[in-house]
Amino acid sequence: MSVDDTILDADVGIVGAGPGGMAAANVLAQAGLSVVVLDEGMRAGGQIYRQLPEGLVNHGKIAEPPSHDGGHALLERFAAAKVTLVSHATVWDAAPGKLWFEHGERSRLLRCRHIVLAPGGYDRCVPFPGWTLPGVVTAGALQVMVRGFGVVPGRRALVAGSGPLLLPTVTALLGAGVEVVAALEASSRWRALRAAPAVLGNALKRREAMWYARQLWKAGVKLRWGWTVFACEGDGRVQRAIIGKVDADGRPRRGTELKLDVDVVGAGFGLVPSVELALRLGCTSRFDAARGGHCVVVDEQQRTSVPGVFAAGEICGIGGAEVAAAEGQLVAEAVIALAKGSTVSAEAQRRAQKERKAADTMLRAFAPLPGLAELARPDTIVCRCEDVTRLGAQQAAQLHGDSLRAIKVGCRAGMGPCQARICGPSLQAMATGDGRRAMDLPVVQVPVKPVRTETMLDAPT
Amino acid sequence: MSGRIAGLDDATRGPRELIEFTFAGEKVTAWAGDSIAMALWAGGTTAVRSSSKNGSPRGVLCNMGICYECLVVVDGRTVRSCTTPVRAGMVVEPGGRP
Ligand SMILES: Cc1cc2nc3c(=O)[nH]c(=O)nc-3n(C[C@H](O)[C@H](O)[C@H](O)COP(=O)(O)OP(=O)(O)OC[C@H]3O[C@@H](n4cnc5c(N)ncnc54)[C@H](O)[C@@H]3O)c2cc1C
Ligand code: FES
Repeated sequence: MSVDDTILDADVGIVGAGPGGMAAANVLAQAGLSVVVLDEGMRAGGQIYRQLPEGLVNHGKIAEPPSHDGGHALLERFAAAKVTLVSHATVWDAAPGKLWFEHGERSRLLRCRHIVLAPGGYDRCVPFPGWTLPGVVTAGALQVMVRGFGVVPGRRALVAGSGPLLLPTVTALLGAGVEVVAALEASSRWRALRAAPAVLGNALKRREAMWYARQLWKAGVKLRWGWTVFACEGDGRVQRAIIGKVDADGRPRRGTELKLDVDVVGAGFGLVPSVELALRLGCTSRFDAARGGHCVVVDEQQRTSVPGVFAAGEICGIGGAEVAAAEGQLVAEAVIALAKGSTVSAEAQRRAQKERKAADTMLRAFAPLPGLAELARPDTIVCRCEDVTRLGAQQAAQLHGDSLRAIKVGCRAGMGPCQARICGPSLQAMATGDGRRAMDLPVVQVPVKPVRTETMLDAPT
Repeated sequence: MSGRIAGLDDATRGPRELIEFTFAGEKVTAWAGDSIAMALWAGGTTAVRSSSKNGSPRGVLCNMGICYECLVVVDGRTVRSCTTPVRAGMVVEPGGRP
């Protein structure tokens, strides 16, 4: 819905209408608390249960995996719940009890006693020659095109990267009638086997894996393990991709290259948690490479280090939709406990812990490979906002030091509007040549997402 | 070739509303509910601006509002084309520096 009021009041303000935010909102509303959910997207669903625009229906054209049944149920309950959802609402700053957002070209404020952060995450990019060519996008971008807009991304696609999200990207493309020329997983088959306990020990994940295997088999797409995209080429847009083998650390094995004709490339090397708002609020975070980078630290009731601020889903570490929904349920019970003096159910805690543990096992098998930093050549652009090359970043690191801040000062990398969301996860690794180098905590600037200057000047207090 | 997935129309509502806008002076046909970036992409336009530093063409990277590679100018204002819905008669120009 859209709202007219400049200032909104609620018991609970939730950022994000993905599985985490929706699950929390459903439970909170049932307990009689007033809930406002703010989401930048056009409709509820978040990344995984992204809906087509009003007036379009899937009709089973774009095949959905078994786990999406749970998503449809969640969406239905959310639509029926007594919750105010404000779509097209970009939250650009936060303080305890306050969320500032832009909606309908106006500056607005949500005052709420409790804040639940469920902003999800975004694709991890690894720079390679030609990745700035139009037509080369993230794996997630292709899913959004197909499942969020009903758009056919191209005729011949390459999907490359690492982690479980490559599979839904391939099936989305197949649903759109795109020929998937190659699907490349950088991890070796042996490394990926470490994920087996998480899949075999969970009935839904077993069914899910079988479903994806069948979809790929039916379409004749073979997932190549230990391969990735080395470079993209083209005149004004992508026309060819150079692919090749990588070693166990992800380092490119030069001499194994193959050339493919493609008109669209989706590259995704896992996900990164969206922690900007939490950092603005002063929440404690912790670096966990397998969980995608800097994650917000929460206790056994999803409480952050800041009183009145809770977090659920990918923001606490990448984990997938089942983790997000389980943590959403738990976070709601924790807020209700605080508001009404009730207690959190052991069942909700047990479920969230179980899902999180399975996800951690899975993700350790696909933790970022350090050698992938070697895909970038000296003249490859690493920071796309400021057009800084890898060589430029290396020189800055030598001259000024290898902290994120020193590199920024030295060459402007990470100073653009994306606030290092794109280059940050691999910038220090590429500047130092040490792929195991963890990324420093980024300095968050306000607005955390660019909004109109008037929005900041007119911000209600 | 990019385009639209056929057969997604909601039979109870009839065909979707078509909208026209211009990009770099050329007429573009879109569907209500499209973002600017997706209307352009479906019509085969993947580059929406060129880098002000090295002039190279740029387009959608994340398609979810976090990278700022897809900037365009609408009525004098710089916006992300992937998160901005199309409106009839909108005048869209390629964006410059992010
Ligand atoms: C493009 C993409 C596709 C994915 N597809 C799959 C898939 O097919 N299968 C799978 O298992 N997992 C998928 N994932 C992983 C997915 O993130 C999780 O499974 C699940 O969606 C996480 O739920 P969440 O509630 O934590 O966050 P999300 O579902 O990511 O929801 C977060 C919401 O918060 C909103 N938001 C964030 N910041 C702000 C802000 N500042 N202001 C306002 N709103 C904000 C976003 O618009 C978004 O709707 C995908 C991830 C991405 C990025
Ligand atoms: S494509 Fe990344 S912000 Fe639009």
